[in-house]
Amino acid sequence: MEDEYGMPSAPIVTARFADYVQRDSRSHGMNLRFSFPPYPVGWVSRETLHGYVEGNDPISGVPLMEEVIFALTHPLTEAEKNYKPVKRPERRRLLEPATEADFHRLFLENGWTDGLPIVLPTEERVAEMLTGTDRDPQEIVGMMSVTTHEERLKYTVEKVAVNAVMAGARPEHFPVILALGASGRPSMPSSTTSFASMMVVNGPIRNEIGMNYGLGALSPINYANSVIGRAWTIMSINLGDVRPGATFTASTGSTINYNNMCCAENEENSVWEPFHVRKGFKHDESTVSLFRGWTVLGFNTGPAHRMLEVVKSISGPFGGAFTFVIDPLVAKSLKQEGYDDPMKFSEWLVDEINPRFKRPEMINLIVVGGEMNPMWVVTDFPCFQTVAIDPWIPKAGIKKDARPLRMPEAVTCKDGSCGIS
Amino acid sequence: MAGNNSKITVLDPVGQPSGIFGRRLNVDSPMFAIHDPVNQPRDTAEAIGARKMAPRLDNLEGKIVYLVNTGFAGSKEFMEEVQDWFTRNRPSVKTKLVHKKTSMFTDDPELWAEIKQNGDAVIFGVGG
Repeated sequence: MEDEYGMPSAPIVTARFADYVQRDSRSHGMNLRFSFPPYPVGWVSRETLHGYVEGNDPISGVPLMEEVIFALTHPLTEAEKNYKPVKRPERRRLLEPATEADFHRLFLENGWTDGLPIVLPTEERVAEMLTGTDRDPQEIVGMMSVTTHEERLKYTVEKVAVNAVMAGARPEHFPVILALGASGRPSMPSSTTSFASMMVVNGPIRNEIGMNYGLGALSPINYANSVIGRAWTIMSINLGDVRPGATFTASTGSTINYNNMCCAENEENSVWEPFHVRKGFKHDESTVSLFRGWTVLGFNTGPAHRMLEVVKSISGPFGGAFTFVIDPLVAKSLKQEGYDDPMKFSEWLVDEINPRFKRPEMINLIVVGGEMNPMWVVTDFPCFQTVAIDPWIPKAGIKKDARPLRMPEAVTCKDGSCGIS
Repeated sequence: MAGNNSKITVLDPVGQPSGIFGRRLNVDSPMFAIHDPVNQPRDTAEAIGARKMAPRLDNLEGKIVYLVNTGFAGSKEFMEEVQDWFTRNRPSVKTKLVHKKTSMFTDDPELWAEIKQNGDAVIFGVGG
């Protein structure tokens, strides 16, 4: 209104967001004249709101409505007339030399980590990580911000490698991590409602890098799942500009942010086409699909009508969106119920939940698990994007260590013991 | 790797400023685009740097002030209280309470045009 329509404005924002909106305003070219009533304004009595309007701005101490009138009528200062946004400085490639202990402290105290120990990104380690792709280290991969409004940070292949090293990844994982970077999507977008994400890998790369899509695929028992999921969050922190309270406003936060439910799909034991094929990719292409919402809504067992009972009782941020992570046993059961294509199940579920809201593509089924129990997990996540990994893989193939790091695989029943000792 | 007390060199993990900012949604943007870097509209540092605040009014006597309910929880009731305040304390100021037709994150050019045509100033509330 101020610039495009030439209209003086007085924005009123609750005091809880004073720093946030003033920073937002300045970074968007104006030092707007805000007034701040106390927080919250929603779900309080009318008497309380009356008191806010009659009372003072708790930040300035000035009567709120006097401040509003001042905002509309007091002539602009020279500073307000000629405001110039502050430009963020370019960052240097290397940090000042220090000891390992000091660097660990520096990274932690600057909020450059997820709070867990990291691998320091020395030049040697980053150079090794860069052998995981043929791409030029200085090639721009993308831009990211956890906010909706602040300046996006751009990053190169090398910058993604720095964050991959920090997460504990190896060069064989790097193509997946670059694909995450290329999406431009942070794993923990800033919202007072606290978002969470999930990432699912499909295609040949799952087996090449030893990802877990079987027993315990969502548990911390697999190296690739652990470090790739963690890398997405460390990238989101450093390349998506997480600054708690300033750019990151999740009120409760989410433990899902630590690893983003990183797993692969159990294509081998699924009765359906793999998820990425359903999204238009070929069987022999490798992809990572990105999902986001608020949280895991529930766990349960059983067939279609049980799944319907649960989703009827819940809601999420992206109305009508659900992603089920289902054990292969559930997929087999659903197929026996007549759902030979998961889209048929999605269409049935949408019809049962709300026939007017026909968006079956917002309901996804991912097959993950070890066939120990017909369990399913339901989230309120839609799938936002499926990203190709292959463009980031070296022409000579995935760069594996001479002896790739692998955690113990789940005991199978080949010898008849079924792992019971 | 160097010994515990030796100095080493490591790379900065933080991204570089891009000069690209997010902005409010267009009328035809999908609602979830506000949290979607692919579909969210963008601003550039150049465009932002050229913005100016509007001149202020001498006073509000006889002026028409639009009160815009942005749509956050409690905003409607709060702006009704603001309107009541004007009625009780500044009866010479004409106020018109309007409600954004679009979401709190989305542009509403029809409303802005109405305000420009019929109003003298605007109060937005309540953010957050």
